Amino acid sequence: MNKRTGFGFYFFLIIFVFIVMFPFFWVFLTSIKPVGEIFSSYKWFTTNPTLDSYEAALTNRPLLRYMLNSFVVSGVTTVLALTFASFTAYAVTRLPIKGKGLILGLVLASSMFPQIAIISPIFNLVTDLGLRDSYPGLVLPYITITLPLAIWILSTFFKRIPFELDESAKLDGATPFQTFRKVIFPLAAPGVFTTGILVFIAAWNEYLFALTINSDDRWRTIPVGISMYQSQYSIPWGDITAATVIVTIPIVILVLIFQRRIVSGLTSGSVKE
Amino acid sequence: MKKRDRRSFQLSEKQLGYAMVLPSLILIFAVVLWPVAQSFYNSLFDYRLNDPTRSQRMLSSNIDLERYVDNYFYINSQLNNLSNETDDADIQQSIRTIHEGVEEHHSELISDEEINSKVEQIDELLMSFTPVRDSELKYAKIDNDFAEDYRQDLLSYSEELSAIAESSGNEKFQQTADLLHTTSGNILESNFVGFSNYVDYLKDARMWGSLWNTTFFTVVSVSLELAIGLGVALLINRAFKGRGLVRTSILVPWAIPTAVAAMMWGFLYDGQSGIVAHYLSVLNIIPGASWLLSTSSGGMFSIILADVWKTTPYMALLLLAGLQTIPNSLYEAANVDGANKWQQFWKITLPLLKPAILVALLFRTLDAFRVFDLIYVLTGGGPANATESISVYAYKTLFAQQNFGEGSTLSVIVFICVAIISFAYVKIIGSDLFDRGAK
Repeated sequence: MNKRTGFGFYFFLIIFVFIVMFPFFWVFLTSIKPVGEIFSSYKWFTTNPTLDSYEAALTNRPLLRYMLNSFVVSGVTTVLALTFASFTAYAVTRLPIKGKGLILGLVLASSMFPQIAIISPIFNLVTDLGLRDSYPGLVLPYITITLPLAIWILSTFFKRIPFELDESAKLDGATPFQTFRKVIFPLAAPGVFTTGILVFIAAWNEYLFALTINSDDRWRTIPVGISMYQSQYSIPWGDITAATVIVTIPIVILVLIFQRRIVSGLTSGSVKE
Repeated sequence: MKKRDRRSFQLSEKQLGYAMVLPSLILIFAVVLWPVAQSFYNSLFDYRLNDPTRSQRMLSSNIDLERYVDNYFYINSQLNNLSNETDDADIQQSIRTIHEGVEEHHSELISDEEINSKVEQIDELLMSFTPVRDSELKYAKIDNDFAEDYRQDLLSYSEELSAIAESSGNEKFQQTADLLHTTSGNILESNFVGFSNYVDYLKDARMWGSLWNTTFFTVVSVSLELAIGLGVALLINRAFKGRGLVRTSILVPWAIPTAVAAMMWGFLYDGQSGIVAHYLSVLNIIPGASWLLSTSSGGMFSIILADVWKTTPYMALLLLAGLQTIPNSLYEAANVDGANKWQQFWKITLPLLKPAILVALLFRTLDAFRVFDLIYVLTGGGPANATESISVYAYKTLFAQQNFGEGSTLSVIVFICVAIISFAYVKIIGSDLFDRGAK
């Protein structure tokens, strides 16, 4: 359509970006204010920037421990989910099995299941296995939440690889599994990596299971930990804004580096090639 | 990996295919499908984790043998002692009747061999002060009529002894009466209630309120996201300087945890120090700075605004990808034919973008309908349940009240709603959505 870029275009673009980024901007400005100034004024820039709030955020609650927990749980989830999902996606897209549509339909349907509908039996299961307040207690449900997403996206990446490659690998005497491991999987590596980022972010952001299963403070993940900064009687906005900045920085870096991949992964399932 | 390699020499392509699909299917079955079935099963019971008489799902009457055996021991010895407490022949007679009654029921109970052996095992454990951890051993199924008889008799014995305690003023009679009363509580009725949880919720104003909140939130925020997202996608569907920067700023709200976003907006909305609340009230858009989080319409407004902020960028990205698949030649041809921009939008852009819009709408609607984190962290469902979504209500019932029966009923209701929504969308989109992956 209109491909001209003029003053009006940049004007709207800047307004849009400003609205989107404003909350982060304001939270950052608040986090470096002395605590007294947070409550007394709506002044944008403080004249006495301080890191007190950061110190408080890190000492009042085990924020670094939350980050470690989130990192371990999301990392392990990503590796396991990618392993299972790449097997399934490969079989469904490139091997002659029956019921492909059914399998993918089941996968897609299970990604639509509301988590509230499975939380109480999972809670009982994890409790019976003695896995509450532990990493495996979260990894188990997380793999399954992220598995449909991963299978779905990986399938679209696997399909893009030319099918002649399977044929020539077969002619060269490769077994089907060797074809997968030595030919197709390496070629799909960028797609697997993209899927990995999305799975990691999904696991990193999960709230309901983390809230229910790991209720001990030492095992909380970032989203739950952050939401526990507010107490019934007071809301330490200084700590909260500082903690928000600390946990948002890794995500901003991740997004900055991998933005193209993330976009290609997000849109791969929704647009026809 | 090595091991699989060697085995694959015997596996044909087909067998390998099934072997590769199997682990995922088992996981999905174990952690998604089975739990949904369990939730449904739980919703048919009056099942409460914090109530010892209802902490199990029991299709028939049960007896808590651990407590019963322990109590029975004391009943026996106390009843023996009681006859020495009084000289009144009538009272002694009624104590004897009670004792015989208890004995009779007890021997009927242990006439079942399985129960008898359980009772003996538990007796030994109790002697050594070991708690019974195995619920197989702890509970035993009993006949419904027998359970009812025994419970009623225990209650009437208890009343009789209470009356004696009152008239004679002897504390010891009251103690035994209480003991008998407690023991009647060890005989557990079946807590299978069929669909009555559902019937109750269909009459529950709070359920309909939360369902309405969820629907309102979903419809309003998804429509706004679609409208704004489409506008933004049309705006940035061109080459311009700083695309990378714009893409990053679009992705960051999507990528941060919803709980973190909710905390941020909680700060911006705060009646005392929130900048958004302050500016909106200065501009007279809202009645006052505290309106946002302390009134029902303000709460709903706050949640929708935060959700639109967080997910519009994602919507815009999906739609942008759809726009980029529309060939430019179509617009060139339209220009030649003299169609204006508005006509081009309605005749070319929208029809060709329809599949992308529908898929984006499907995912967003389902996500919005399941909304939990945002509301739970930002408003907690308040003020006065005005922003409570059905998921939040279900969570509170399940884990704050520990009521797994009623909570499961609510979560099954969420499940049914989501199923209806997805079914409707898939009908509109067509089976294409499912086939695409397999092509």
